[in-house]
Amino acid sequence: MKTVRLLTLTSLFAASTALAHTMNVLPSHYVQSKTGGFVTVDLFASNMTFQADKGVGVDGFKVVLPDGSIAKPTAAVQGKRKSIADVELTVAGTYRLEMGGQPRYFTSYKVGGEQKRLMGDKQKAAKELPKDATDVVTTQGRNRALAFVTVNGPTDTVLKTTGQGLEFSFDRHPADIVAGEAVTATLTLNGKPVEGVKADLSFDGELYRNDPARQHLVTDKAGQFSFTPANAGRYLLEASAEAPLKSDKADKMREGFTLSFEAALP
Amino acid sequence: MKKISLALVLLSGLVLPATASDLEIALQLPKISEGQYHRPYVAVWVEDSSEKSVRLIEIWREKPDWIKDLRRFWRKTGRADQPLVDARTGATKGPGQYRLRWDGKDDQGVAVPNGEYQLVIEAAREHGGRQLVKQKFNWDGSAVALSVVAGNEIGQVQLSRKAP
Repeated sequence: MKTVRLLTLTSLFAASTALAHTMNVLPSHYVQSKTGGFVTVDLFASNMTFQADKGVGVDGFKVVLPDGSIAKPTAAVQGKRKSIADVELTVAGTYRLEMGGQPRYFTSYKVGGEQKRLMGDKQKAAKELPKDATDVVTTQGRNRALAFVTVNGPTDTVLKTTGQGLEFSFDRHPADIVAGEAVTATLTLNGKPVEGVKADLSFDGELYRNDPARQHLVTDKAGQFSFTPANAGRYLLEASAEAPLKSDKADKMREGFTLSFEAALP
Repeated sequence: MKKISLALVLLSGLVLPATASDLEIALQLPKISEGQYHRPYVAVWVEDSSEKSVRLIEIWREKPDWIKDLRRFWRKTGRADQPLVDARTGATKGPGQYRLRWDGKDDQGVAVPNGEYQLVIEAAREHGGRQLVKQKFNWDGSAVALSVVAGNEIGQVQLSRKAP
């Protein structure tokens, strides 16, 4: 019995190491009242919310302009504890700041009861797997870290869902999230509302309090949950979901996103 | 100095004749001696019972960069209608007593229906604080006499309307 339990723990750990750190896109400002300015965006992995632990590669960072076209930051540098990117805000509207989003494949398997993993899709695994491998599952993992910055009037182009992977929509624009006012989120997987997705809502300053005071949210039958930011400040919403995948590359998909946003003063 | 301000009051009285049915707003900006003093950005507007802005009365501001720090004003009105903001913009003002009025019309110049409204005043100061004042009142032809106690950034506010 003890052996079995130990095994379960090991496999859980193996599966979760890829997601052990939370990816953050944290802009210096979420709201601007003139065009032609900049925001500087922190890009980092963290354990505690908004406590930068590790700078990440800046190549995976992109800016989606209010018209939906994609731009690169005007400057970006990777630091040890955090990376930063300067984003120019030449036009009015809502910008999407996004990091990641590229699918990664890994194949988990067992040899003689021992849990192992190799990076690669089903085709690569077919070539590299040991002959005696059992319990072979290939996962397509995709994580995105997001933030929205709004200059003058908010626009919706960059909020539109694509029907691909795990996505969210709110019943209000991100620039309209206000302390004390409820927000309802709808989570969709490949365009369909999905029940039972777990999400965590946390807020700034975890390093400076004993109780992280995270809210654990789960989507209902309509794929929805609601939350009310108690205080004005910066928040992080994290969610991930798994689903079977019919593909020559993977057996299942694991999709995750993190969204940093601010709840404004009422 | 007193003479000049009196003359200004008379002059503004001529330019904007008060009618008996206007809502008179007396607003005080306190003298602040602590720390660096910059004149506050101030916005004054009227919201309906669903907290939708119906009429921007005035905004006192300088550079566009900092208007966003009037958080509620920016969200409710400022970001959506630049020409309206420009039309109602005045220079920032120092400590003192100011008089404004609302004629019961919305931003399009149409008289609003009777009902409950709220006067909203928001002030934010560079290197200083921010304050929001909301005061509900009934706009149904009856008299109004309300007073809001002074805070750190916005001094005493008085709303008055004479019954016709």
